Amino acid sequence: MKLEALTPARTRASYIDPAALMRIKNLELRAKLVVDGFLSGLHRSPYHGFSVEFTEYRQYSPGDDLRFLDWRLFARSDRFYLKRFEDETNLRCYLLVDLSRSMGFHSLSYDKAEYAKTVAATIAYFLTLQRDAVGLITFDQAIREYLPARYRTGHLHRLMICLEHELAGTATDLSLPLEQVARTARKRGVVVLLSDMLAPVEMLETKLGYLRSQGHEVVVIRILDPTEVSFQFQDESMFFDLESGRELYVDPQAARSGYQERFAEHAKALARVCRGLGVDVYDLTTDGPIDLALFDLLNSRMRRGRQVARRRRV
Amino acid sequence: MGILVPLYLAGLTALSLPLILHLVRRTPRGRQEFSSLMFLSPTPPRLTRRSRLDQILLLLLRLAALALVTLAFCRPFLREAASLSFADLTGKRLAILIDTSASMKRGDVWQQAIKVAEKQLDDLNPQDDVALFAFSDRLRTIIDFQKEGAAPISDKPQVVRNRLKDLQPEWGSTDLGTALVAVASELDTASDIRQSPLEPQIVVISDFQSGSRIEALQSFEWPERVPVVTLAVAPTNTTNAHAQVLPAEEVNELADVRVRVVNSADSRGDQFTVEWAEPKSSGVPTDVYVPPGQTRIIRLPRGTDNLQADRVLLRGDDHDFDNTFFVVPPRKLAATLLYAGRDAAEDPEGLQLYLRLAVANDPLRQIEVRPLDVTKPLTAPGDVEPKIVVVSQPVTEQLRTALTKFVEQGGLLLLVPDGDEAATSVFSFFDDVEYARSVAETAGAGESRSEKFLLLGEIDFTHPLFTPFAGPRYSDFTKIHFWKHLIVTLKLPTTTRVVARFDNGDPALLERSIDKGRVLALTSGWQPADSQLALSSKFVPLVGALLDLACGGTEVSESVSVGQPVTLQSSGQPEPFVVQTPDGREVRLAAEVSTFSETDQPGIYRAKLGSTETRFTVNLSAAESLTAPLDLEQLEQRGVYMGTEQTRAQRIDRVRQQRDTELESRQKVWRWLIVVALGLLVLETWWAGRAERKITL
Repeated sequence: MKLEALTPARTRASYIDPAALMRIKNLELRAKLVVDGFLSGLHRSPYHGFSVEFTEYRQYSPGDDLRFLDWRLFARSDRFYLKRFEDETNLRCYLLVDLSRSMGFHSLSYDKAEYAKTVAATIAYFLTLQRDAVGLITFDQAIREYLPARYRTGHLHRLMICLEHELAGTATDLSLPLEQVARTARKRGVVVLLSDMLAPVEMLETKLGYLRSQGHEVVVIRILDPTEVSFQFQDESMFFDLESGRELYVDPQAARSGYQERFAEHAKALARVCRGLGVDVYDLTTDGPIDLALFDLLNSRMRRGRQVARRRRV
Repeated sequence: MGILVPLYLAGLTALSLPLILHLVRRTPRGRQEFSSLMFLSPTPPRLTRRSRLDQILLLLLRLAALALVTLAFCRPFLREAASLSFADLTGKRLAILIDTSASMKRGDVWQQAIKVAEKQLDDLNPQDDVALFAFSDRLRTIIDFQKEGAAPISDKPQVVRNRLKDLQPEWGSTDLGTALVAVASELDTASDIRQSPLEPQIVVISDFQSGSRIEALQSFEWPERVPVVTLAVAPTNTTNAHAQVLPAEEVNELADVRVRVVNSADSRGDQFTVEWAEPKSSGVPTDVYVPPGQTRIIRLPRGTDNLQADRVLLRGDDHDFDNTFFVVPPRKLAATLLYAGRDAAEDPEGLQLYLRLAVANDPLRQIEVRPLDVTKPLTAPGDVEPKIVVVSQPVTEQLRTALTKFVEQGGLLLLVPDGDEAATSVFSFFDDVEYARSVAETAGAGESRSEKFLLLGEIDFTHPLFTPFAGPRYSDFTKIHFWKHLIVTLKLPTTTRVVARFDNGDPALLERSIDKGRVLALTSGWQPADSQLALSSKFVPLVGALLDLACGGTEVSESVSVGQPVTLQSSGQPEPFVVQTPDGREVRLAAEVSTFSETDQPGIYRAKLGSTETRFTVNLSAAESLTAPLDLEQLEQRGVYMGTEQTRAQRIDRVRQQRDTELESRQKVWRWLIVVALGLLVLETWWAGRAERKITL
């Protein structure tokens, strides 16, 4: 499938209220709801079917695989030519979902993990509809679930079940799932990392770079709680780290500016690293519509596609 | 201002409680979960001056209330008088009871005891009264308490101190119980009678060895107001053993002597030697192994060369006071027996042979049997004075006078007439005995014979001759047949005593006392022709008894413990006993008194009565050698009220405390403190409620 063929209109206002959406218990149903609405907006765009597309002929040189010889052309022109196709297999997408305890933080009625799951489910559902292979890795400080990217009956359901698992883990190790993908995904694909990225940025650089060097496209979707961004706490209290269990006495009035500064620094560092590697970073706050995630993904694909096309043309 | 129970001041630590609670309030009540603290830095808690002020009043109120309650528990009071001096103490009546038993001779125990006693004297107040008692097996009053009405002795402690220097431990055993009972009852009754305000107290300074006798406490109800303070002194080296010669099992004293060796329970050594010794030389030591707290009985042969050894020495322990056990050495008594008879010395049909045989093997007596020379006087100068004369031949008038004189001076004359002629002259010693002259009535022809024999039918076993046979095992004389005897008749009233009769009623043995001596007459001889007496087993003991009667008994080596009285064997003579103690002192007993009680040191005593001398030994009580320390709880178990040693300073403290208690119970400051504390708490409640209302409004 060619995602760049889709031209989503991010400006439209028909987003589904995430609070209302989260009230639906079934993850699959949620995804279906989002994707259906999304597709209904998508239908207006021209939609081409997919096929294996021929690109060019190349003259045979000894050692080439004889399978790709065009015998008909040989019959017509008495010359050996090889048929070249664009490698247009189905998209392989790996969803890396962070389910560490820090994802359990919420200032709304649902937490970041729930939101991330819904996003992941939505993307998976969307891609499955398009017969793309979707894989899943959930992780905290270790890998919890691993589903290889497949397209087959029941795979989506298994994926949903894997997503339903509870939060665990006391830390976030982003390098492990990235390594796992790099090790197992032989074919190039899209890697979507859904996390709050509350981990040191430094080691992220090498892992992402490794993935990129294997030809994967990487999209980082940062899931954030609105409070994490604004730090709108009022009363001084003991702040309890959900992951490490550490306690800290914090007066929000005094600490807010410092927090925001460091938070911005972290985001900036992350953005810098990702930009350097050609990785797209999108921030999603949990009060924002989920469709946006899909848009972001598609946007990323489109941009990448153009870049690739441009590069090829050059 | 004073405090009765300062321990409760520890309750002031509770003051930290409100402080902590107030501090706790400053920490935030809320707890905020957050995804990650990686962007947060700790902020120091802000304390505004206002919030602190608000709580400080409450805090102060709470602190004050708590402090007041604590103070109330401490029972404060207002002191009135200045500090106490020693003169404010109530006096005490102190009885110092110092152990002077033999075990105090060990090492430096006595010096320690003197020091302890002096320390007690140093701690006395002028108003105190003190008495000094010494005890071993009996209690001695060295210095008594102040008598009522008597002029007070100036500087009594110094007097006691001087007397203390003169004291020395004696040889007695330790009768702690009796001494305590005597002193306690004296103190108790004295306090009762005089209504004295002085507090009685007994201080016992002793080594409290386990051999102390405390049985007297058993039946004594200890007066509760008389506390006993025990001050124990102990030697550094504790190994102590003693040897004791046990009474012989057999009559023969030369048989192996059994010696009991007892090792004290707290001894460290277990290897000792015992030996027979004389005052100047000692014998061969015998090793004996006795583990601490145990007893061994060993046989310690005297040996022939040690016959005169008079003591058993034990060596190998740390303390010598009980290492010598005195034994009266057996002494061979030399005596002469004169025989006047017509038979030869070796004539088996005669009397003399059997007499010689009977006295020959006596280990304790050296008896010389000499024929009586009628022409010579009985006692030749240079000869051993004869003790006994046996006559079987007719007596001449000259001999008769000599013999009568001999008997009058205390000799013993045994008449065994060997025939009619002899009988006629012999029985003249008995005024009231008539010889029947014809002696053959029994058999019809003068003298009895063959199957017609007589037995001894009636024997007076209370007579000294027969007392050895008094027991039912030995009193059987029916195996001795008498074939010949002389028939005598007694005129009435008679002074002659018939000691034994034949079964036909004829007298067999007659006795008559003349002045100091006595005359015995047998109506039948012991030679085989007359009777079976010489050949019977009864003959030798009978001769022994006869010799005992003549020479005085062989010594019974009586041994008593130090302090025990000795009953001397008196023979009814009016002369007083003179007893020579081991250190050479001579004690003359009053006439008619035969009990000697000044046995105050171990050793061999000699009691002289006229020319006879008996010896007896006095030894240390065996209990005195048990030097392991006594468990003082035993005193308490027997009801002794044990006090604790208190110095003057401690006593002052106690008095002060008593006075403080009294003051406090009169003032009762604590009530007011509680009232104020309650008031403060009410105020606090009201204030806190008001503050709360303010906040909610």
